[in-house]
Amino acid sequence: MDVEANRKLLADAIARVATGDRGALQTTYRLTCAKLFGVCLRICRQREEAEDVLQEVYLLVWRKAASFDPAKASPMTWLIAIARNKAIDRVRTRSAARAGGPVDLAAEVPDGRPLADDALEQAEVTQRLHDCLDGLAEHEQKALRGAFFDGVTYDDLAQRMSVPLGTMKSWIRRAMLKLKACLG
Amino acid sequence: MSDVDTHSGVPDSDMLAAEYVLGVLGADERADAERRIVRDAFFARAVGDWEKRLLPWANTVESVPPPPQVWERILDAIQGTPARRAMPEMRAGWWSGLNFWRGLAAGTTALAAASVAALFIMLRAPTPLPLTASIDGGGHRHFIATIDTARGQMVVSPAAFAAVPDRVPELWLIVPGSAPHALGLLSADRAVTITIPGNLRAHTNTDAALAVSIEPPGGSPTGAPTGPVVAQGKLTSL
Repeated sequence: MDVEANRKLLADAIARVATGDRGALQTTYRLTCAKLFGVCLRICRQREEAEDVLQEVYLLVWRKAASFDPAKASPMTWLIAIARNKAIDRVRTRSAARAGGPVDLAAEVPDGRPLADDALEQAEVTQRLHDCLDGLAEHEQKALRGAFFDGVTYDDLAQRMSVPLGTMKSWIRRAMLKLKACLG
Repeated sequence: MSDVDTHSGVPDSDMLAAEYVLGVLGADERADAERRIVRDAFFARAVGDWEKRLLPWANTVESVPPPPQVWERILDAIQGTPARRAMPEMRAGWWSGLNFWRGLAAGTTALAAASVAALFIMLRAPTPLPLTASIDGGGHRHFIATIDTARGQMVVSPAAFAAVPDRVPELWLIVPGSAPHALGLLSADRAVTITIPGNLRAHTNTDAALAVSIEPPGGSPTGAPTGPVVAQGKLTSL
């Protein structure tokens, strides 16, 4: 099945979830749960917590499906936004109680290249982002990857990469401005 | 934002949106940003634009199939939510209704078995005892089948099975040493009652298994599975 067909299948399923169709929620779950679980797991770093977050994500989809507007976002972008926000909120709550130790960033960072099985997002969209990321300085890329995939704060990033907080903020902000200029 | 690079003409609210989407903000700043999304349409749009730019990156994260109990818990949680559409007609009575069987599918196997046992005691089913099968594939429980061997009837209820456009799920009885026997078409959104053909009743026992293949509308044109077998499960006695 090609990307457009998959995307339409998913968008249609979310539209039907908005009418209270449980079967459509199953379809949405089956098509997306492995990707979203990967995203949650990467941020939470604990399976049990990531499972809780994943459950919250689809319950939110069940309640808020009517707010999905296919004209504004691709269905996968909409779902990933929900998953990342839930996972980040969860680890922020946790870190308020217990600060996590630094992790070896280099060892954790993925290749960052699109995987072959990504049939739910337009390949060109992803490729364009990667081309723009390639235009960044190495330390900027590394900082962005840590922030994006692990969902850690400016403070944690500064500690991980052993630079002052102000330096980290300016790296990230400069990188984001470059990305915006490149992507439009 | 007093840091060095706010000089480029990008408004602070746009950078805040970028930081929110990237995920670098602390708990309080995130909460502030989320409140602002609700009351400030301009900011909400900036967040949407940044999501469009950045989130495709998340597709490079490796997919990890979650354990099946996550879906079961989601199903449990939405059971109490009133569905906004009419339930399908329940010709065979309340016990073949969608909610009942979905509820059953949502429990653990042990719990499901206990519920089915209780059900059949309630219905005063004659011996022999019913059989059940959890028809699973790819880490998901797709369907649950319960077989009343005395009546030669089987009720098959969807659990985590997701419909495939322009294709139908078909159920097969797998008896050791013989080709699969077609039992009938299933549905992704309602329980289906199947009458087991007389010649297969003797083979419908704990040596046999059920399998589901994906077929063209109307079912397999050849009498044997033609599409992928997506799920299967052994018959077990309660």
